[in-house]
Amino acid sequence: MSETEIIRKLQQGNEQAFKELVENYQKLVVNTCFGMVHNIEDAEDIAQEVFIEVFRSIHKFRADSKLSTWLYRMSVNRSLNFIRDNKRSKWFQSFEDSVQSKNAVHENLINKNTDHPGFELENSQRAKLLHEAIDSLPQNQKVAFTLSKYEELSYQEISGVMELSVSSVESLIHRAKKNLQKKLYVCYKKRCI
Amino acid sequence: MKCKTLHKDLIFFLEKELPEKEMELVKTHLAECSNCALFAEEMKKTLGILEAERSPAVNPFFYTRLKAKIENREPEIKQVFWKPELVRVLQPVLFSVLLILGIYTGIKIGQPTPAQMISVNAADQEIISFLNEMDSEPIEGFLME
Repeated sequence: MSETEIIRKLQQGNEQAFKELVENYQKLVVNTCFGMVHNIEDAEDIAQEVFIEVFRSIHKFRADSKLSTWLYRMSVNRSLNFIRDNKRSKWFQSFEDSVQSKNAVHENLINKNTDHPGFELENSQRAKLLHEAIDSLPQNQKVAFTLSKYEELSYQEISGVMELSVSSVESLIHRAKKNLQKKLYVCYKKRCI
Repeated sequence: MKCKTLHKDLIFFLEKELPEKEMELVKTHLAECSNCALFAEEMKKTLGILEAERSPAVNPFFYTRLKAKIENREPEIKQVFWKPELVRVLQPVLFSVLLILGIYTGIKIGQPTPAQMISVNAADQEIISFLNEMDSEPIEGFLME
């Protein structure tokens, strides 16, 4: 089924078309959300919300942009909302809860691969460091960098998703890389890993 | 090339985004400076995480979970659909009724009630005549005595 046909059938309320849409775009949506929130369970939850929104508002979709662009935009917006809400709820989380959850994540990472616990631990620390560095970037830089790195989108495609000019996207990604390098260098100096 | 200059451009070197001439300069520096080479190696490993994370495993139960979520939410969706409609109609009606009631009460309060006024005035005068002793016992009478 082509993209246009899927949209037409979806607008008529065809369930098979919705299933096909989910199968075709599940990876794209989950991957984008994962790049933003760095947690697969949260990414899947957000991706489900994205598809529910598609199901509800497919009649609003205008054929002048690509379906994938629309999905990327919704995934990014939903992920940003999730991060914002999560930040708010962290204020109300007790210290004990946060320590317990951090320990659980740590144990989970160690138990993932028992053959190479040292290697896995180093990698998990590296991943944590990288995620923290990405999360500390300004919002637009983070979105542009994530779309470029996790989804390997071209500057042209990113400019379509973010509704910015190509040169702005280029500048955002350049600054994001510079900032990221700066943060990683500080960490290297402090011997974080 | 200085170490400081290399630290600024290392990420672009690792992503092969530098011009050929600068790429060569960085390569030469890395071959000479062990500290920068170590940092470059660390940076390469850390950025390599991005590639590893690029394709998370697809959950085979994703669609089943999604469908269940949609089915569970359908009653909610229906409620959400009628509630704003009801609010949109009821809110102006309620405000109009309150406004009319307010105006009516205002008019009622502001309206003069002549019949009542007269009776009140008459009663006042009756009371005053009892209290006013000037009529029955004028001061001139006392003075005359």
